[in-house]
Amino acid sequence: MAMLAPTFRRALLEARSTLPPTYLLPFRANITTISHTLETDNVPDPLIQSGHHISKDLKQKVQSHPIQPKVAPRPVPSIPKASANARKDEVSTEFTANMKSMLPLLHSQPPHYLTVHIHGRPYLLTAGDTLRLPFLMPNVKPGDVLRLNRVTHIGSRDYTLKAPEPVKGTRDAPKKVFYLDERLFVCRAMVVGVEQEPLRIMEKTKRRQRHVKHVKSQHQYTVLKISEIGVKSLEEYEGTLEGLIR
Amino acid sequence: MPFFRITLLRSGIGLPAKTAGVLKALGLRKRMTTVYHPVTPDVAGQIMRIKELVDVKEVETSLTKDEMRAARRPDPGYYIETRKPRDLDGKTMGALKSRW
Repeated sequence: MAMLAPTFRRALLEARSTLPPTYLLPFRANITTISHTLETDNVPDPLIQSGHHISKDLKQKVQSHPIQPKVAPRPVPSIPKASANARKDEVSTEFTANMKSMLPLLHSQPPHYLTVHIHGRPYLLTAGDTLRLPFLMPNVKPGDVLRLNRVTHIGSRDYTLKAPEPVKGTRDAPKKVFYLDERLFVCRAMVVGVEQEPLRIMEKTKRRQRHVKHVKSQHQYTVLKISEIGVKSLEEYEGTLEGLIR
Repeated sequence: MPFFRITLLRSGIGLPAKTAGVLKALGLRKRMTTVYHPVTPDVAGQIMRIKELVDVKEVETSLTKDEMRAARRPDPGYYIETRKPRDLDGKTMGALKSRW
């Protein structure tokens, strides 16, 4: 039927120029809320089919031999497949009454700290901290600004907002790790540069062998500077929920 | 098409060569290796040979090694908001100001 779309359009154009008289149009087209002049997509079916010229033999043939649809191959689901030892990171977006009452208190006590998770590993950070990551972050250069968005704890002097505890995974169910809503906070870090560890040389040898192999290692580590940590106030957070502020 | 998800729970060290051969044929190299094989009588027979060493589950879809690793990978936890402009050599333009 999709293949007949161009023929529909052609038939439509032909039908528009030669409309049947009003008394021949179907009764159901008398009262309608659809404006046929403004909304040109809404064309009644008899009008579309009036341009169709299908022979009676062909109609009979189609009706008597309905085509059996071939068994389509099972579509591969786009959702991630369950695996043994899988992991699921959930950013919880629920806003409980307790959170609503305590968020203004948390917001009123700067400075704040965050427990940020980078590649699943937690770092307790506050504004102005220098963070040396235990790995070299690819595709970043000094001066780039990162936005850290996976956080489990937001705290101030007297208050802490915690995400739910992780749920242990089983053979079939994935491990669930919970994070706080991204819209509650802002955390920006600037890439300061790359550090190197001191050169270390490992000697590899076997007993009663005079040859000693020297293996050099000097790993690199990315250094970040936390430039900004902010907790949203209740008005700002509710504004983002409504989509006013991004 | 259903698959067997086979996980090696006990090592095959010290076992006879035929049993080690079955492990090799299934692709089970180390403990906790997980492999997917289609449900056929051949594979069922192989599993029967090493049934004391493995944990088996029947699942609908199979995963490759990369897909299994991706399923375990956590979120990166960051995204690059702004990049400092770089020239054609890839060097950042302008001096990096000390004010962070």
